[in-house]
Amino acid sequence: MLLPNRLLTIAAALAGVAVLASLLPARVAGQAPRAAPAAKSAASAKGAVPRLPDGHPDLQGTYDLATLTPVERKAGSPLVLTDEEAVKLEREVAARKNFQAAPIKADRNAPPVGGDGSPGPAGNVGGYNSFWIDSGSRYSTIDGRKRASILIDPPDGRIPQMTPQAQQRLARNVRPTSDQAAREDDPGFEGNGAYDNPERRPLGERCLMGFGSTSGPPVLPNYFYNNLHQIVQTPDAVMILTEMIHDARLVRLNAEHLPKTITKWMGDSVGRWEGDTLVVDTTNFSDKTRFRGATSNLHIVERFTRVDAKTLLYRFTIDDLETWTQAWTGEYTWPVTDELLYEYACHEGNYALGNILRGARLKEANDARKTKQ
Amino acid sequence: MKTKILLSVAGLLVTTAPLWGHHAFGGEFDPNKPVLLKGPVTKVEWVNPHAWIHVEVTKDDGTKEEWMVEGGTPNTLLRRGITRESLKVGTVLVIDGYQARDHSLLRANGRNVTYPDGKKLFLGSSGTGAPTDGSDPTEAPKGRGRGGR
Repeated sequence: MLLPNRLLTIAAALAGVAVLASLLPARVAGQAPRAAPAAKSAASAKGAVPRLPDGHPDLQGTYDLATLTPVERKAGSPLVLTDEEAVKLEREVAARKNFQAAPIKADRNAPPVGGDGSPGPAGNVGGYNSFWIDSGSRYSTIDGRKRASILIDPPDGRIPQMTPQAQQRLARNVRPTSDQAAREDDPGFEGNGAYDNPERRPLGERCLMGFGSTSGPPVLPNYFYNNLHQIVQTPDAVMILTEMIHDARLVRLNAEHLPKTITKWMGDSVGRWEGDTLVVDTTNFSDKTRFRGATSNLHIVERFTRVDAKTLLYRFTIDDLETWTQAWTGEYTWPVTDELLYEYACHEGNYALGNILRGARLKEANDARKTKQ
Repeated sequence: MKTKILLSVAGLLVTTAPLWGHHAFGGEFDPNKPVLLKGPVTKVEWVNPHAWIHVEVTKDDGTKEEWMVEGGTPNTLLRRGITRESLKVGTVLVIDGYQARDHSLLRANGRNVTYPDGKKLFLGSSGTGAPTDGSDPTEAPKGRGRGGR
């Protein structure tokens, strides 16, 4: 009862599972979004779009991307949640959070020997209390309607199939990709050289980039904590600062891409205005991040539209035909927040990585001793 | 019976949440070394990616050990008005978790960190870190951390 199906759905979607059909006509990938009448009336209620002296919309501000809307949605479900469904699901999440915050047994024992049964990268030892967590409490709303998935194209709300060559490539390369906290099938310690050296560890664990593609592109929520982003804008450049983990992406406006030989972890982003929408085109990826297993030929187009004073609509299209059989597009809203984005100085206090590698070396030594005996 | 079921569900919820955390807890902590630590806070390392709470534990033979307990990011707590000063040195905590795989390190994950009455840290006791419920005149305003903007 207290483990809502929705939680499982979100987990399943994050792990990358499969399906379903849209009630709304999905916009064609790459087409500029147009404000629907509902959005216009919402805009008047939430204030007019702010503008800079050059006449372009002012995208500046701090946004909280935390949401309950998963990247994908489950098979057979529509893109839009009814108001009743959304209220029910959001109440379930609130109830779960209250339950997690409630007191537990004062005179409890230590957890069981052999692990507490928690699955996945948590590695059977659990993690830490929910009071550290700051996940979303609402579904993302577009044109006044709650969304069941970020993905809108393909219209079934599922990431397209990987090409056979991409599957072979991933099987050969065990390095974690930028969106992974740890390999989903990682039992915690075993693995194909996963603990051999620091560079085999996920980028998030190494304090280099946020897990879950928080920095982007594409910019995705991590469904966990520190989902704040700040935009700073001039007539020549737009900077997107990500709290988790401290990445700043500079978008050069009305500029050409760098030569193909110059590659970057977050790619080379150039932008232009199409009416009131900022269109950002990103290529020239290095092979360090490999978003969800993509090649360095990954091409991402993002569209930033300030629909009212309190909301930015973010849309992205992912194109890498060497990895996925077709392009895919997602969108969700970024609500403005008056909360402060804090520095996430990660490396200096990262005792965890040292603990992890130290544990791996000790295990190797123990295994070698057992082999000798 | 009902209580037992609820507790087991609570355990599952608490332990499934970190699935998407910053790092692989299973690589860091040893599932065969469960610990229950009780003692006063001696130091709080309010750092990213994970805060570490130091507690002094008195063993059965009377000797004392200082353990370090891993928590989450302080940024989220700061936005709720909770700061390093919210957890005073000397506050007695009860922690259950698992020890680091290197057993020479007195480090564990804070699978559950509570006050001695079972209330969760920062949530259940005003004056020792309860977030902005209005009952503590010394607490920082919500969302600004101590010191304000």
